Amino acid sequence: MDIKKLIRQGEWCIWFLNPLLLLLVIYSETSKTNNVLLWLGKLHPLVLHFPIVLGIAIVIYFLFFQNNKLEENTEKLILVGNALLATIVAILGLLLSKQDAYDTATLNLHKWGGLSIAFISWLFIYSKNIAGSFKKIIALAYLWVLLFFTHQGALLTHGENALSMPAAAVVKAEEVKKVDSSLTVYEKAIEPILAQKCVSCHGPEKVKGQLKLQSPEFIIKGGKDGNILTNFHNGEALLLQRIHLPNADEKHMPPDGKLQLTLEELTLLSKWVKAGGNFTKKISELAKTDSLAILAMAYKAPVKGGGDTKNKAPDLKQYNSSYLTVNYLFNGSEEIAVNFFQSSFYKKEQLANLVKIKDKIVNLNMQGMPVTKEDLAIILQFTKLKKLNLNYTKLTLNDLEPLKSITSLTNLSICGMDVNQNSLTKFLEKAPFTEINIWTNHSNEKEFQQLSASNKKVKIIIGDNLDTEIIKLTSPIIEQDSSIIVTSLDVVVKHFLKGTVVRYTTDGKEPDSLTSPIYSKKLRFTKNTILKTRAFKPGWLSSDVVQKTFYKSDIHPDSIYFVTNPDKKYPGTGAKTLIDYELGEQNFSNGKWLAYRDTMMKFVIGFKEMRPLHEAHFNAFVDNGAYIFPILSIMIEGSNDGKQFRKLNEARFPSLEKTEVVRENKSFSCRIPGEAAYKFYRFTLLNLKKLPKWHPGKGTPAWIFVDELFLN
Amino acid sequence: MNEFLEHGLNQNRRKFLSKLSLGIGGLALGSLMVPGLFDASNEEELFANVLPHFAPKAKRVIYLFQNGAPSQLDLYDYKPMLQKMHGQELPASIRNGQRLTGMTSSQAKFPLAGTKFNFAQHGANGGWFSESIPHIASMSDELCIVRSMYTEAINHDPALTFFQTGAQVGNRPSMGSWVSYGLGSENKNLPAFCVLLSKGKGNGQGVYSKLWNNGFLDSIHQGVQFSSGEEPVKYLTDPEFIDRGDKRKILDEIASLNQEAYKNMGDPEIVTKIQQYELAYRMQMAVPEITSLQNEPESIVKMYGPECLAPGTYAANCLLARKLSENGVRFVQLYHQGWDSHGNLPAEIVGQCKDVDRPSAALIKDLKQRGLLEETLVIWGGEFGRTNYCQGALTKDNYGRDHHPRAFTIWMAGGGVKPGVFGETDDFGYNINSLPVHVHDFHATVMHLMGVDHERFTFKHQGRRYRLTDVAGKVINEIIS
Repeated sequence: MDIKKLIRQGEWCIWFLNPLLLLLVIYSETSKTNNVLLWLGKLHPLVLHFPIVLGIAIVIYFLFFQNNKLEENTEKLILVGNALLATIVAILGLLLSKQDAYDTATLNLHKWGGLSIAFISWLFIYSKNIAGSFKKIIALAYLWVLLFFTHQGALLTHGENALSMPAAAVVKAEEVKKVDSSLTVYEKAIEPILAQKCVSCHGPEKVKGQLKLQSPEFIIKGGKDGNILTNFHNGEALLLQRIHLPNADEKHMPPDGKLQLTLEELTLLSKWVKAGGNFTKKISELAKTDSLAILAMAYKAPVKGGGDTKNKAPDLKQYNSSYLTVNYLFNGSEEIAVNFFQSSFYKKEQLANLVKIKDKIVNLNMQGMPVTKEDLAIILQFTKLKKLNLNYTKLTLNDLEPLKSITSLTNLSICGMDVNQNSLTKFLEKAPFTEINIWTNHSNEKEFQQLSASNKKVKIIIGDNLDTEIIKLTSPIIEQDSSIIVTSLDVVVKHFLKGTVVRYTTDGKEPDSLTSPIYSKKLRFTKNTILKTRAFKPGWLSSDVVQKTFYKSDIHPDSIYFVTNPDKKYPGTGAKTLIDYELGEQNFSNGKWLAYRDTMMKFVIGFKEMRPLHEAHFNAFVDNGAYIFPILSIMIEGSNDGKQFRKLNEARFPSLEKTEVVRENKSFSCRIPGEAAYKFYRFTLLNLKKLPKWHPGKGTPAWIFVDELFLN
Repeated sequence: MNEFLEHGLNQNRRKFLSKLSLGIGGLALGSLMVPGLFDASNEEELFANVLPHFAPKAKRVIYLFQNGAPSQLDLYDYKPMLQKMHGQELPASIRNGQRLTGMTSSQAKFPLAGTKFNFAQHGANGGWFSESIPHIASMSDELCIVRSMYTEAINHDPALTFFQTGAQVGNRPSMGSWVSYGLGSENKNLPAFCVLLSKGKGNGQGVYSKLWNNGFLDSIHQGVQFSSGEEPVKYLTDPEFIDRGDKRKILDEIASLNQEAYKNMGDPEIVTKIQQYELAYRMQMAVPEITSLQNEPESIVKMYGPECLAPGTYAANCLLARKLSENGVRFVQLYHQGWDSHGNLPAEIVGQCKDVDRPSAALIKDLKQRGLLEETLVIWGGEFGRTNYCQGALTKDNYGRDHHPRAFTIWMAGGGVKPGVFGETDDFGYNINSLPVHVHDFHATVMHLMGVDHERFTFKHQGRRYRLTDVAGKVINEIIS
C-alpha cells in the first residue's frame, strides 16, 4: 500500500472530523444524539489509551531525537495517526459524556482538555518548519495538557480516589459516631453504608443514572428511574432490587469489581427500606427487639485506615488464660465480661492485670475463687461493674461493705456466705443493689421474710433448703452382678448418700430400723440366700427394700435337650444356655436368652446316676412394654428311662396388673417334694396365651424369656 | 469462582509454609488477592471476633431432651373435650386426612382418649399441669410454655435428628456443635458441648451419637458424651506412676510431631487433634472437681431427689448439668429415654414423670437461687407430641398414643424467655390455632437468645453456606422477654 496515499486519506479525515468535533462541543448541551452513536461513546475508555501512548512517544521524539530524525513519511504517518486517534477519542468522549451525569466541573475541564489535545496533535502534522527550541516548548506544553486533562477523565471513570493509596480508597474515611440510640437509623447505619459503598458513583462528584445518594433530599429525589425507595420492580423497591441482583447481572449494584455490600449491610438496607425508609426515626423509637434497631445499634461503620473490624476495640487476648476468660459482651460492645474458673489455678496477678481495662468490666464471675480482701480492693477499682458473682468465696459480709461504693453494681451473688437478717439489713442500707442472691444450704426463707417484705428496693433471692420436706431415700445398691454361688460369693452393698445406714436380712424378713443387722463390710454367701437391704437416715423416710436372690448351683446336669425349640429370633446358644452360669442382661436380644411365644417351653435334663432334686429356680426377664410377661406355670416331671415321666409338682405364678410397669429380671421357683431320685427331669414352662385387655397387644400370646436354671 | 480461587490459594499457602519454594512474592500476591487469607489460623478465631452479633440474653443452654416424645395431652395441654368425648371417633374434619404412622394408619377406628390425669392451673400465668408433674407445676411462674410446636417428621429418628441438627438426614452439625463453633467455650478446661444420657422404665427409643455429631464442622465441636458410670469421662485418669510433668512432656513431644505432620500434609484435622489432646489434659484437672457429686449439701440432694447421687440417673444428670453449666459449658444436652408410650400410657408416663419431675424443677430452682437462671436457657421437650386418639385397645382408663408431629408442647426457662403460656391448639389438641412454632423457628429463637443472628451464622461446606436453620426459621419475638 502506498504510504503517501494513506497519509493523505488520514489528513482528509482529520480535516473532516475536527470541525465536527468543534461543532459537537459547541452544541453538546442542546443536541440530541441517536442511540447507536451514544453506544459508540462506550469505546472512549478503550481507544483513549492509543493517542496517549503515541502522544507521549511523540513528545519524547521531539525532545530528544531531533538530531536523529525518522524518515519523513514514517514521521508523518505517526503524526497523522496520533491526530486522527486523538480526534476520534475526543468525539467518542463527547458521546459518552451524554450517557451519564458526571460532575460538571471535572467534565468541562476534561472536555476542553480533550479538544486541545486533538487540535495540538493536528498542529503537529505541520510542525516540520517550526524552529527546534520552540518545538520543544510546544512539546512540553502538550505533555502537560495530555497528562493533566486525561487524569480528569480518569477521575470521572474511576472515581475521585483513583490514584490514592489503596487502603484509603477501599474504605472512605468515616467518623465513628458514638453508639447512641438517640441517633436516627439513617444517621447511625444507612448514611455510612451509602457513603462508603455508593456515593463515589452516586454523589457530588459523579452522578450515574442521575442518582445522588449523599443526603436524604437527593435520595428522595431519586434517579432517572424515579424514587429508589418507593418505585417497585418485581415487588421490590428499586434500591433493594438492584442490590440483590446477582453479582454478574449488569444492573447489580455496587457494580462487579467495586467494593460490595456485606450481608449485614444488605440486611440493614432491606430492613430499613421495608420499614418505610424513614430518615427521622430514632433507634430509640423502635422496639428494643426490633431487628432493625438491633442491627443498627450493632453496625459499625468502617474506620479510616482499614476495614479490619478487629481493630476497633482493644484486643483482649492478653488478659485471657486457660482459667480466665475476658470477652466483650458481643461484637461491637465496649463492655467486658470476666469469668474465673478452677480455684486451684487462681492467680491474683491475673485479677490485677485487669485494672488496665477496669472501666469496661461490667460482669465479673469469681465463684469459688479464693478471693482475699486485697483482691477485693482490686475489684473496687472496677467502677462500672453491674453484676458480681462471689458465690462460695471465703469473704464475709463485712468485707463486702466497700462494694456499696460501686454505684452501678445492681446484681450481687454471695451464695454460701453466712448472713442473717441483722447483718443483711445493715449491709443493704444505702446499697446500690437491686438483686442479691444469698442462698446457702441452711438458709431459711422465714428468717428473711420480714426483711424481704420491708425492703422493696432489693430483690432478695433466698432459695430453699427444703428442711420441712421429708422425702424417701433411694434404695441401697447391691454390687454383685452374678447371682450364682459356685463355692462362695462376696457381696458389697452401698449407698451414695453420706450418713445413711444400710440394714439387711438374709432370712426373708423385711429389714427394719431396730433389729436388722447394720451393713458394715462385705457379705459372703455360700448357700441359697435372699438378701434384702434397706437404707435409713434421720430426717428422711427409709428407702424401699431392695432384694436379690443368690443361688447355690452345685448340681450340674450331665445332659440337656429341648423338647420344644425356642423362637428362631432368640435361640441363645442352644439348650446349654440354661446351665452355662451366664446370665443375660436387660438387653434381651444379646444372645444369652431363650424365648418362647407360640409354643410352651419344654426341655429335659439328664444325670448319669439317679439324683434327688429339691428345688429348681429359673431366672427370667419381664418387660410388659415388650410383651414379655412372667412365666405362667412350671411343671416338673421325673423319669428313669427318659420315656415314662411322672409329675412331681407344678407351680403357678401371678400375671401382671395393668398399673405395673416392669422391666427387670425375676426368678421363678418350683419345689420338688420328697426324696425320690431320678435320672431324667422334664420341665414344662407355660406362657400367657392371651395378653389381658388393658395391654396394647391384647389377645395375642405373651413372650417368656429364660436364661438360666439353678438346681439344688 | 471465588471458592475455587480461595481453595487454590489455600493449597498454595500450605506449600509455601512447608517448602518456601515459591518465595515471598507469591505470598504477598496471595494475600492481596484474598484479604484475610493469612489473618487467622482457624475459623473459630474468625468467629470469636464477630459473634455474638448482638447482646446475648442467654450465655448457656441446658437442653433436657425428653426422648421418645412425652404426651402433651397428659402433661401440659389440657383438653376437657377429649375427656368428654372419650371413646368417640376422631372427627374427620379435625384430622383432615393428615398422614399417620404405619403403626396406627391401618386402625379401623380412631377413638379419642381423654387424659386419665387430673389437671390444675398453677402460678400467675395460669398454665395447666397434670397431677403427675407437681414439681414442674410449682415452677410455673418461671416457665415459658409453648403449646404450639410442630415438626415435619413423624418417626423418632428423623424427628430427633431434625430437632438436634435442623435437618432430618443425619449429616449436619448438632445445635450444640454450632454453638461451640460460633461462641466457643467459656471455660477452656471443659468441652463447650457436653452430652448426658439417662433412661426411664418406659418404652425405650435409642439415642445415637449422630445426634451430637459435629457434621461438617471441625471435630473439636462434637458433643462430649459423659458416661453414666462412676467415671463420667472415660480414660481421663492417668495410669499409675505417670505424673503431670511427664504427661506434659509427652504431650509436647506428640504435639511437635503433629505440627510437623501438619506442615507436610496440611490436614486441618491434625490441628484439631492437638487441640483435643490439650483439652483432655486440662480436663483431667477440671472434670473430677465438677463431676464429684458427693460434696453437694444435703439440701441440694433433697431438691434434686436422692437419685441424683446415683450416676446415670436423670436426676444425677440434671445436677451434673448445673455444675457443668455454672463452670462455663455452653451447651449441656441431656436425653432421657422412655417416653414412647404407644400402649399402657397412664402407667408408663407416671414412671417417666417420677424420673424427671423433681430434678427438672430442681434445676430451675437451683440455677435461680444462684443467680444463674437469667443467663442460662433451660429447654424441656421431646421430638414431637402424641395423638389425641388411642393406639391399640381403648378402655375406660388405659390407652396408648401414637406419634403426633402437628402440635405439641415444650417449655423453656431463664435465659431471656418470657414466662407465660404461648400458642394454642384446637379443642381436640390436634391442630394449632395460634402462634405456630416450627422447629426452624425454635432454633432461630434459641440462637437469637444466644446473641446470634441465625441468618448470618453460616459455615461454607462443599460450595454452599449452611445454617442451623437451613433456609427457613424466624425468631419468635412473642416468647422473648
